[in-house]
Amino acid sequence: MSGESVPLALPLARLATDTCEATTLYRELRKPLLRYLVCLGLTADEAQDVVQDTFVGLHQHLAGGGSQENIRSWLFRVAHNAACDRQNSYQRRHSAPLDAQVEASMVDEATPEQAVLEKEKFHRLRTAVRLLTDPERECLLLRAGGLRYREIAEILGMATSTVGDTVERAIKKLTEKCNV
Amino acid sequence: MCDFPGKPIAWMDHELPESEAADLERHVAACAECRERLAAYECASNAFNAYCEATFAAEKRRKLPRWLPAAGVAAGIAAAAAIAALLMLPRQHVAQVPPRVPPADEAPRMAARIEPPPAAEAARPAHSAAAPIMRSQRQYASAGPARSHDSQRATAAEAPAQASQVRNISPFPAEPPIRIAIPADAMFPPGAVPPGMSFTAELTISADGSAERLGLRPRLAGFERRANQP
Repeated sequence: MSGESVPLALPLARLATDTCEATTLYRELRKPLLRYLVCLGLTADEAQDVVQDTFVGLHQHLAGGGSQENIRSWLFRVAHNAACDRQNSYQRRHSAPLDAQVEASMVDEATPEQAVLEKEKFHRLRTAVRLLTDPERECLLLRAGGLRYREIAEILGMATSTVGDTVERAIKKLTEKCNV
Repeated sequence: MCDFPGKPIAWMDHELPESEAADLERHVAACAECRERLAAYECASNAFNAYCEATFAAEKRRKLPRWLPAAGVAAGIAAAAAIAALLMLPRQHVAQVPPRVPPADEAPRMAARIEPPPAAEAARPAHSAAAPIMRSQRQYASAGPARSHDSQRATAAEAPAQASQVRNISPFPAEPPIRIAIPADAMFPPGAVPPGMSFTAELTISADGSAERLGLRPRLAGFERRANQP
């Protein structure tokens, strides 16, 4: 009797576990994924679409018996590739109007002197970020999302040591430009 | 300038093997220049993270105005629908009252002289702006008790009939009653109306202020007189 029930119970238990895990991952990673995609240059709507497609893909991946190892990297990699596909067809959206809003939220205008200093600092930072290469910016964005170098390497398809070097180079560039 | 060959940022990120991390920690503890540099790296790293967060927040905020006009249009449609429903309500109510058409034999005798008072005359153009509703408004006024005696006919012809009852169907504030003087001999042949009988006049006023239709509803004046006099 028990020998017959085991083959049925196992897929059901796995499905329940997978669904539960996918829900937990969605709650945990939705916002970091959205932030990464928006910072890559997608609009909020496009980022929402990509995240939704990514989690549909995760459900199919798990239902099809796909590997459960490094699911976080898997999610970011799928989302990153989808974002790259969209960016091939759409121009990068981050332009002057959004910069003005970013500046307004970052600059603390407690006093006029402070506002001038902070604006100058913000402009230096923005210039420095724009001078980064795509891999440097992507590495820093994923690092800001709390991912380990090993995971970043999986997502971007590069060696872990290369990620370390890229992050090092990017932070040094930012430091130089911001502290001029 | 200190040129220590370690990877300070990987160390900050806890990504260095233990042996390398231990070497770097020892060096940083002794080198003020490297400590300062590490603080600058950390500052730049934090600034980048804040920039990302602000970009994300700005994009989310920018998304809001896209649906705001749609919400405004929806609210406008809802408000327009509510106003239209309010305007339609009295019109439907009036339509339920069957229009009273005077009998064909009465029509030639409608040589009534209609004399609206100046106040009503002044008020009418203002109300005619709300044409669709006010046009169908009906007022019921009772003509004075008709006298059938020849001696009293002349007096009845001169005396203006009192508008004793005004029923306003529209929910809007009622207009002041209109006094109508109707010569009795112009309406009824001698002896046609028995004593105690009076008529309720139903008057329809068109948008330009002229009388559109006049109908008379007979009723016994004696009952009303008793009811009105305590």
